[in-house]
Amino acid sequence: MTESVGAKARAGSAIGAQLRRIPAERRRGAILIVVSLLLLAFPLIDRNGGDIDAAANACAFATLALGLNIVVGYAGLLDLGYAAFFAIGAYTYGALSSWQIQPPWSEFWEPFEWLGLVARIHAEGVPDVVHMTVSFWIGMPVCGIVAAIFGVLFGAPTLRLRGDYLAIVTLGFGEIVPIVARNWPYMTNGAIGLNGVAPPRLLGYSFGVDSEPFYYLGLLMIAALIFISLRLQNSRIGRAWMAIREDEIAAAAMGINRVSLKLLAFAVGAGFGGMTGAFYVSKLQTATPDMFMFPVSVMILVMIVLGGMGSVYGVVLAAIILQLLQSWFLQDLTGWVHVFGKWVDSAWLQRVDLVQSIELIFGIILVTMMLFRRQGLIPAMRPTPALTLEQQTAHAGRGGFAMPIRGIEPKTAEPQRAMIEIRKLTRRYGGIVAVKDLDIVVETNSIVALIGPNGSGKSTTFNLITGMDEPSAGQVLLLGEDITGLPAHLVTKRGVARTFQNLRLFSNMTVRENILVAMHSRTTTGPVGAVLRTPRSRAEEREAEERAIEIIGAFGNRLLPRTNQLVKELSYANRRRVEIARALASRPKVLLLDEPTAGMNPAETLELSDQIRSLRTMGLTVFLIEHKLNVVNDIADKIIVLDHGEKIAEGTAEQVHSNPQVLEAYLGRKAAHHA
Amino acid sequence: MSKMNRRQLMLTTAGAFALATLASGGLAPAQADEKLVTIGIELPLTGADADSATRIKNGALMAIEEINGKGGINGYKLAVTVLDSGTSTAGQYDPAQAATNAKKFVADESVVALVGPEMSGEGKAMTPILSAANLATVTPSSTNPDITDPKFAAQYKPNGKAIYFRTVTTDAFQGPNMANYMRDTLKVKSVYIVDDSGAYGVGISNAFEGQAKKIGMNVMGHDQLDPKEADYTTIITKIKGLNPDAVYYGGVAQAGVKVAKQLYEIFPSVIKAGGDGMVDGGLLSAVGFPAIEGWYCTQASPHVMDDAAMSDWVARYTKAYKMTPSDYAITAYDAVQVIADAIKRTSASGQEVNRDTVRDAIQTTKIDTLQGPVAFDENGDIMNKVISVFQIHHDAANPEDDVQHQYKYIGVAPESPTS
Amino acid sequence: MTYTDVLLQQVINGVSLGAMYSLLALGFTMVYGIIELINFAHFNVFMVGAFFSMWILKLTGLAGQNVILTGFPLVGILLLALVCVMLFCGVLGVVIERAVLRPLRNVPGTAAMITTIGVSYILFNIILLSQGAAAMNFPNPMPKVQWNVTAGTVLKLREVLLWTISLLLMLGLHFFVRRTRLGKAMQATAQDQEAARMMGIEVDTVVMTTFFLGSALAGAAGLIFGLYYNFASYVIGYTAGLRAFTAAVLGGIGSIPGAMLGGVIIGLIESLGGQLLATRWTDVIIFSILVIVLVLRPTGLFGRMMIRKS
Repeated sequence: MTESVGAKARAGSAIGAQLRRIPAERRRGAILIVVSLLLLAFPLIDRNGGDIDAAANACAFATLALGLNIVVGYAGLLDLGYAAFFAIGAYTYGALSSWQIQPPWSEFWEPFEWLGLVARIHAEGVPDVVHMTVSFWIGMPVCGIVAAIFGVLFGAPTLRLRGDYLAIVTLGFGEIVPIVARNWPYMTNGAIGLNGVAPPRLLGYSFGVDSEPFYYLGLLMIAALIFISLRLQNSRIGRAWMAIREDEIAAAAMGINRVSLKLLAFAVGAGFGGMTGAFYVSKLQTATPDMFMFPVSVMILVMIVLGGMGSVYGVVLAAIILQLLQSWFLQDLTGWVHVFGKWVDSAWLQRVDLVQSIELIFGIILVTMMLFRRQGLIPAMRPTPALTLEQQTAHAGRGGFAMPIRGIEPKTAEPQRAMIEIRKLTRRYGGIVAVKDLDIVVETNSIVALIGPNGSGKSTTFNLITGMDEPSAGQVLLLGEDITGLPAHLVTKRGVARTFQNLRLFSNMTVRENILVAMHSRTTTGPVGAVLRTPRSRAEEREAEERAIEIIGAFGNRLLPRTNQLVKELSYANRRRVEIARALASRPKVLLLDEPTAGMNPAETLELSDQIRSLRTMGLTVFLIEHKLNVVNDIADKIIVLDHGEKIAEGTAEQVHSNPQVLEAYLGRKAAHHA
Repeated sequence: MSKMNRRQLMLTTAGAFALATLASGGLAPAQADEKLVTIGIELPLTGADADSATRIKNGALMAIEEINGKGGINGYKLAVTVLDSGTSTAGQYDPAQAATNAKKFVADESVVALVGPEMSGEGKAMTPILSAANLATVTPSSTNPDITDPKFAAQYKPNGKAIYFRTVTTDAFQGPNMANYMRDTLKVKSVYIVDDSGAYGVGISNAFEGQAKKIGMNVMGHDQLDPKEADYTTIITKIKGLNPDAVYYGGVAQAGVKVAKQLYEIFPSVIKAGGDGMVDGGLLSAVGFPAIEGWYCTQASPHVMDDAAMSDWVARYTKAYKMTPSDYAITAYDAVQVIADAIKRTSASGQEVNRDTVRDAIQTTKIDTLQGPVAFDENGDIMNKVISVFQIHHDAANPEDDVQHQYKYIGVAPESPTS
Repeated sequence: MTYTDVLLQQVINGVSLGAMYSLLALGFTMVYGIIELINFAHFNVFMVGAFFSMWILKLTGLAGQNVILTGFPLVGILLLALVCVMLFCGVLGVVIERAVLRPLRNVPGTAAMITTIGVSYILFNIILLSQGAAAMNFPNPMPKVQWNVTAGTVLKLREVLLWTISLLLMLGLHFFVRRTRLGKAMQATAQDQEAARMMGIEVDTVVMTTFFLGSALAGAAGLIFGLYYNFASYVIGYTAGLRAFTAAVLGGIGSIPGAMLGGVIIGLIESLGGQLLATRWTDVIIFSILVIVLVLRPTGLFGRMMIRKS
């Protein structure tokens, strides 16, 4: 016995060694093919109608999980009421194709009858009525669209809310929809449930009560939704969603219209849910409001948490595992426990029913996954390859950027106009005045430095210019155009780019992806283009990639080898560089740099100073906040000094340094007198 | 012993488990010369209805065990498969799970008939599947009339033959007959209706309302309660302000407990009535006396549990299952009798015993059971449409949750005149 | 009963309902004020408290509502039950915080909230699986005293008890937070955790104390619920929880007086809305209030403006 086990083990490890030799990409593809073949052949292997039925139901829940994955996994919006869209899709299909809605017959319906969308029912003694018979293949997309519309309706007033508040509001909608369903018998037949929902018909053959056609349709839906999800994920839209998930404020600074993208995520997720609703109700041929309550929303959330937020395959796997758990494994396990109970003669063990504890298992899954494996079973992140020694070493070089970087083509049509002009800008927080009556002019194609002690209002000024904060009074002009109070993404679109004092990178995205996100306002591929990979979207993507590599390459050996590394793994100085590279990617006219050299050693600081100077040579305007006075003296054309929110000095380096007010602000009154 | 590292150990263990599963699946002792047919039992044994479902299950099991104990039917022994339509996600029956169970039964060729389901919501999901396979089911407690209504025949029996047979009558009678009883016997002139928003509760209270209006009672309002909510003082105060003679509650125990308790506290003088959802041992102990005292309830079957002949049956049931039977345990027992009788007649006439022949035989049933004579009309409904009325009176000699003794049988609710 | 009697009775009902919601909202809003966490588990701690106090009372030999006590035995037993349930639930809250929430305190996003959903489910299902789905009779030794406010309107002893205890607990909490050192430490931590730590405040202890107090309040609410409605069931945390949550948001999440006021408002909406419209729409109305408040005025009636540093 030992020998045969040993032989089997040797054979097993031999196969394992063979498998490991295949490269990772191929391996994944091979696994997918094998799994797909198994899934396709499943009804032929297991001919039990009940099992196939359970599998078809599992497909429905997998597509729901894929839909929620877009909302929660991609865009980071926690939706606790997702079952509402499931319900809306189901009842819409019920309205289109059951005996629920039966208006009296009139001539109005004749063209619809001719199209095959309705039928005329004649019964003795009562007037003729209309019977809705919209085909499933028309009905399902319609249900998806209706659900998507509701997604937009629910999202519009609420997507501005913070994460946990948004979750509560979605929970509220998830509660309201079944209540409305219960109290609107005209549409839903209330608690009693729909009657006569029609199953799909294909080429004259009705699916009826057979589970196989539903199972295959379900597999097709899963495949289609995986396809759409992956296409969206690796597109401009997907990157924008992930940017929003990582850091909303930085996403807005990258030119992303957060509200419309969040609405898009909601709508797409809702659409998936609505289509699944049509599928589910046409299979069950009835629907009651109790089928769409909060526990269903939580179950789908558990699938996402278990599988991995944002991980398409993880989510499908989790859906399958949980469904199998409910329909098969727990029942079998209960049987084993009963047998064990008989063996140890324990009455309690013989009575216990583990199938009832599935909800308890959901709770345990949520807690343990969040505590111990937040990335889920199949994480959405791929592991990054290690760098060679050569790739890791870099030396600070002088001379700035090799010119020109193709991505940067600022307009210098009106060099006389001030790039940025601030008039009487004021920002009050209750009793505190952060910025008071500020007048600043940043000339085109110059480098202006903003300095001052901590808390003097420098970063606030930047926030006011870039639209991240709204001024209490005053104006901000960009090349003469009034941009006061404009939302951040529109300011970026007009050519203002910024970096942040505390670094706001998208940590869980790669360097390359961070740069590509910044190009959001300069590209136009929408969701349709992303999914269909139209020639225009492909060309746009290609060009964006090329520009991104160029910008990354401008930083030489520091960033280029790390193009596909997650940003959170980079050193502090490299992350600062990525911030700058990201800002350059949005084709700005003016660059606002907030302490760009913080954390760099003297050699690196000099390198960056040269690079900033070369940006000016390329035609950019730079407005920077800096504490290192040698950098400021070196590169700034003009220095502006703030203290307690007011401008106290302006001029060249010599003028500013001899200004007594400046000395007092920095060093204190006594020291200033001695200086 | 060769080097077995942890992974190999796990793989071997997993393989052993897999083998065990396969082996246990096939462990059916097949005795060549014994004829075996299976009766399926389909009930929501998980969730809010678990208690009543278990009592029903035991009624059916008792009948099957008695039949097998007597040697079977013409050489046929009865095997049983029990499937649960309740899921904890739904907290009660899940129509999708009921549909899956129906398909499992259909796939098992030895199943010739089913007992169940308990709830009409399950029935709606199951009947298209059962009809396609011509597999008959006899339900002891599903009372929603839609499923056997000829108006919906295309949905619920697409192949034309009745497969949903009931040993209980429907809400088309339970609600209205109570309305008749209220007007005729209790002299009620005005009533306020509440239901628990569930499929059963809405159905029965709507039927009650329709009849009450027809016979001239003043229906002062019909409101829906949320069974998960604890506080009904608002609606009960509103009702008290309107001062009806009676309150009718359509629904099951989850809301019923709170309705009973709070009615007693706020408006104790009103006449209180409910449907068979209020006949529940757990409800009696949760509400307690004197709060539950005086409630009228109906059951959609003739009442026989008081008969001397019955007490022997009740004693056997209580001894075997350590719980008192409900009236629906009896209708479940009778359902098995119907199936057994069908099998007997089929095998006696020399035909093969399969689901088609058994269904045909069930259609022509004419037997005497615990609840009296049972025969079915062409839709599958029981011919004997008797609604029994009970009132709760505290019987201190028996335990508080003893359904048999705390509900006093009053009589038959009058049928609605057909004119 | 005249129509004014009915309306007056509904007002009394509404205030009682409101007192219950306030009690639930208090502990919840406290926790949110300190660590900005929406703790779903709070409402099932309340449910567990109802069951626990039921067992305590049963242990003393009580059953049903027919054994009446008065005077010292009554006060003694109720106090005993109150102290026991508050201790038990307080400890339960601390266990939850330490085991499950503290490791996630610095994880950004909604990870902690999702975890509280998980804990909530675990509590809910442990009770469901062990006690069954049926409601259980809650032993209540209180005498059934009531007074007639007008000819048709009734005020019951248990309602007075509910209002009194809620008010006392709120005042006690208010005093604790304003006057004691630990209370001030809680206020400081609520405003700025970093700064509080730098001032030498043991933030971990403060958070633990907050959870203890909040969960103890939830337990007290469970006992009062049982004494008021005379039953306990696994599902009571659910609807009461959502209403109490709305009350907390309406009053201004993080604000103790806000929770009280919000509770009473929601209670009155429930009773008067049910009287003038229909009870079936109560949930929709209350959820709409939740959505409207969150969208238009997220700080509620009394909440503080949170300044976010970018």
